[in-house]
Amino acid sequence: MSADPQPVESAADTAGRRYRLDRTALSDSLPLVIPAIPFGFVLGLAITESAMPLWAAWLTSPLIFAGAAQLTMVTIAGSASLWAIISAVLVINSRHVMYSAALAPPFRHQPRWLRWLAPLVMVDQVFALAVLRNDEPPASFRRYYITIGLVFFTVWNLVVPLGMVVGPIIPDSWQLDFAPVVMFAGLTLFAIKRVPAGVAALVGGLVSLAAAGLSDRLGILLGAVAGVIAGAIADQWLATPTPDNTTEQPGAPA
Amino acid sequence: MSHGAAALVLIVCAAGTYLFRGGVILLFADRTFPPVIERALQNVGPAVLAALTVNLAVSGGGGSGVDIVPAEMAALLIAGVVAVWRKNLLWTLAAGMVALWILAAL
Repeated sequence: MSADPQPVESAADTAGRRYRLDRTALSDSLPLVIPAIPFGFVLGLAITESAMPLWAAWLTSPLIFAGAAQLTMVTIAGSASLWAIISAVLVINSRHVMYSAALAPPFRHQPRWLRWLAPLVMVDQVFALAVLRNDEPPASFRRYYITIGLVFFTVWNLVVPLGMVVGPIIPDSWQLDFAPVVMFAGLTLFAIKRVPAGVAALVGGLVSLAAAGLSDRLGILLGAVAGVIAGAIADQWLATPTPDNTTEQPGAPA
Repeated sequence: MSHGAAALVLIVCAAGTYLFRGGVILLFADRTFPPVIERALQNVGPAVLAALTVNLAVSGGGGSGVDIVPAEMAALLIAGVVAVWRKNLLWTLAAGMVALWILAAL
């Protein structure tokens, strides 16, 4: 028996439904999982073009499970050193620290096994949906989180191999190696929800352009660092005079 | 890339990603970050994605050297307009690729 000061699990609420998937969670995840399908497909295509061994590139899906980071890894493998690949991937995924921080309160009331397993499926979309349920009773939150986590993990791990199978059949004239660039351009624009984020993207892009000639794709790291610094300065600058710029939205896509 | 190098990259990135996602939940469940850090983390996504897009768009096939292809730049611009307009990744991808095919054929 736990002495939970927070919402108590009602027996009537959970009895009989405990082991079923949450229907609300299924319908909530539908609009978010559909756009992930072409992304996973493009990643599958990129994997077949990658300099990485096929097994390792494929394993990024179940083990890393982060589209933008996976696409980066398989795309720059072969033209960047190991440390450059690792730092690019980790910088991209560092945003998940924020998700972890935001979801820490509801996980305080969850069993240890879920706390260990939950991070494995904590992609952007899962975070964006789960953070809206922070105040639900622990049992409902658990069912909701597990359902959306399973949906995204399953769909992703079906779609990526599909792209890997179809990839080699598509002729080179389709120029599908350009598809990841278009995806990243779209993700960049979707991620800009506040002015400082726009400044971060603009400076990041310009510094990356200026540093494009550097070997080892060093421009990515330089651009990212410069962008984050510029964004922080813009944040500071905008926060001082007016109090009306507090409309933050959780769950940036990408 | 050798099998050993690929395994190393895979393991380090998987472990790092897990720690980013689970670190706060597992270790510091009762603490929050200072607002400055939380705000800075929100800018990481846009900054790194923009840097990545530009680097991939302007670099040559081997990854070093600059190689700007006008048709690709125009296709990216069109994709960007569609991204802002439709706010949908599928439309963005379709617009960018179709634009590239048409422009490359001209």
